[in-house]
Amino acid sequence: MNSRRIGSFVLLAAGLYGLILSLQLPMGKWNEPGAGAFPLIVSLLLCLAAGFIFLRAKTPEEADWRDVLRRQRTPCQIALFTAGFIAVLEGLGYLLSASLYAFALLYWISHYRLWAALGLALAIGGGSWLFFGKVFATPLPTGVLPF
Amino acid sequence: MDVLQNLATGFATALTLKNLYLAFVGCLWGTVVGVLPGIGPVAGITLLIPATYGIDATGAIIMMAGIYYGAMYGGSTTSILMNIPGESASVITCLDGYQMALKGRGGAALFIAAFGSWVGGTLSVIGLMLMAPMLAEFATKFGPPEMFAIYLLAFLLLSSIGQDFFTTMPMVLLGLLLASIGMDPLTGVLRFTHGVKHLYDGLGFVPVAMGAFGMGEILAATQESAEGRKVQKVRLRDLLPTREEFRASLGPIWRGTGIGFFVGLLPGSAHIVSSFLSYLVEKRISKHPERFGKGAIEGVAGPETANNAASGAAMIPFLGLGIPTGPPAAVMMIALLIHGVRPGPLFISEQPGVFWGLIASMYIGNVILLVLNLPLVSVFVTLLRVPFRLLFPIILLICLVGTFSVNLDTFELIVLLGAGILGYAFRCWGFEIAPMILALILGPAAEISFRQSLMRSGGSFAIFLHSPIALTLILVGCGLLAWNIYRSLQPQPAPAQG
Repeated sequence: MNSRRIGSFVLLAAGLYGLILSLQLPMGKWNEPGAGAFPLIVSLLLCLAAGFIFLRAKTPEEADWRDVLRRQRTPCQIALFTAGFIAVLEGLGYLLSASLYAFALLYWISHYRLWAALGLALAIGGGSWLFFGKVFATPLPTGVLPF
Repeated sequence: MDVLQNLATGFATALTLKNLYLAFVGCLWGTVVGVLPGIGPVAGITLLIPATYGIDATGAIIMMAGIYYGAMYGGSTTSILMNIPGESASVITCLDGYQMALKGRGGAALFIAAFGSWVGGTLSVIGLMLMAPMLAEFATKFGPPEMFAIYLLAFLLLSSIGQDFFTTMPMVLLGLLLASIGMDPLTGVLRFTHGVKHLYDGLGFVPVAMGAFGMGEILAATQESAEGRKVQKVRLRDLLPTREEFRASLGPIWRGTGIGFFVGLLPGSAHIVSSFLSYLVEKRISKHPERFGKGAIEGVAGPETANNAASGAAMIPFLGLGIPTGPPAAVMMIALLIHGVRPGPLFISEQPGVFWGLIASMYIGNVILLVLNLPLVSVFVTLLRVPFRLLFPIILLICLVGTFSVNLDTFELIVLLGAGILGYAFRCWGFEIAPMILALILGPAAEISFRQSLMRSGGSFAIFLHSPIALTLILVGCGLLAWNIYRSLQPQPAPAQG
């Protein structure tokens, strides 16, 4: 299956989701369209368009999935680390979670040596905390630390 | 006379110490963004949105516009000295700019690129100053049917952004569907919220834009790296072009201004299209087309002028009609909406200070960029030595904190992550992400005007045909739709695997 077909599947799923849910919304009448009318039209068109892309996207050869997965490894790792940062932000506070996040990225993605990654992460975490929290006065979560 | 009076008021606003500083920061950051491969003008503007929270709308738009045209200036530096386009509009500059650098004429190429950018940028601001108020005044006569027809046309034009209409149109529709999340503005009914209170006001523009453009761009850039490339050296005394080079550049600069200005009025990636078009025109009309690709200065002068002229012209439909013609304008619109200012037909009459302040600051900004770019070129090149593997964690943190600081809500970070993954995935699958964001921004207004039109007509769709303006716009839209379908059905290369 080629990349266009995968994309069209996602679009079709979004269209069907919109279609099913908008049918449960008030439709109103033509002289007073309800909340569901516009999303229904959009979802219908999206389903049609996605179906058309799926049919049109030819599959001249099978994708090398091992290569595809290898190329997605780094973006997936970054997304996972970001999810982790979001999960611990309120609990640990900005300074700690930002430093940990920066360390994870620098050590596992950028492949800095342990001590270099640690030093840089503290500098980035602390620097961004000072910049946003103090210069821009953004109320960042404090978490376990008193600041 | 009115124009001159308004312009004088604008200069009074733009020349305050605070606004001058903001224009300078915008131009400087824009140049940095343009120089650094992997961060485009859209991500650059998005990253600085949080920095505008503490300043007024005038200052915010002055800074954002500075980033936009600063990136256009800065993009040429890496194209010429490294053969790496800092941003996509400078791709074509690589062809002749880098060849000139290899021949020791990199300084002259940089000078001509900066000079052309200044001419194109300044002349397009004059066009913006004259045309935007006229367009806005005309648009004040518009009611819901005309506005809906405009939005419809804008969506069809947005679908022309990519090469294939069938892969961009669904992205517009997806953006419209995402725009319907939240409370229905007319009836108060909740749509697609699943009881999540954070979604009652709809999806935030900032997390979606930061995610799709900022984070998505970083995720994509981690797959490719510009490190280890050789930078051609340039000395200050080498910056001046010879008399022949300067003379050969004047024609392309004028033509580039015209091409950039008219292409810039159209939605889509105008700054990219205009630079390619200018290059093709110069090559076509040249007596020695064989010189192109081997270091012809015309190949630098035309495209670099065109992409800056397009940046100024793109502001006309954005400020006059409230329709962002491309991703940078869409992000600027988000910043203005955060400040409670909505660009559109009434924008210029209701916010003259913001509009004329922006116009004046663009004149000033173009001068700042000319002064900034030439003597400091070696400083900007030094930035390229900062490895991307160190830079991207900082950019990601800026995205995260910037999004968090809008509503101090962790949920927005989840939206950012989702939009980032979605943006990256669609990029990989060969779909354009920009039309989705633009549709997300314009969607609520389009839906309201559609429903108000039907309410006004008692449910008759003929209301869209009774208004001559709406009818004309719809007919143009139909023509565009037919052309797009025809264009996309032509044989095309097979899509990428994986």
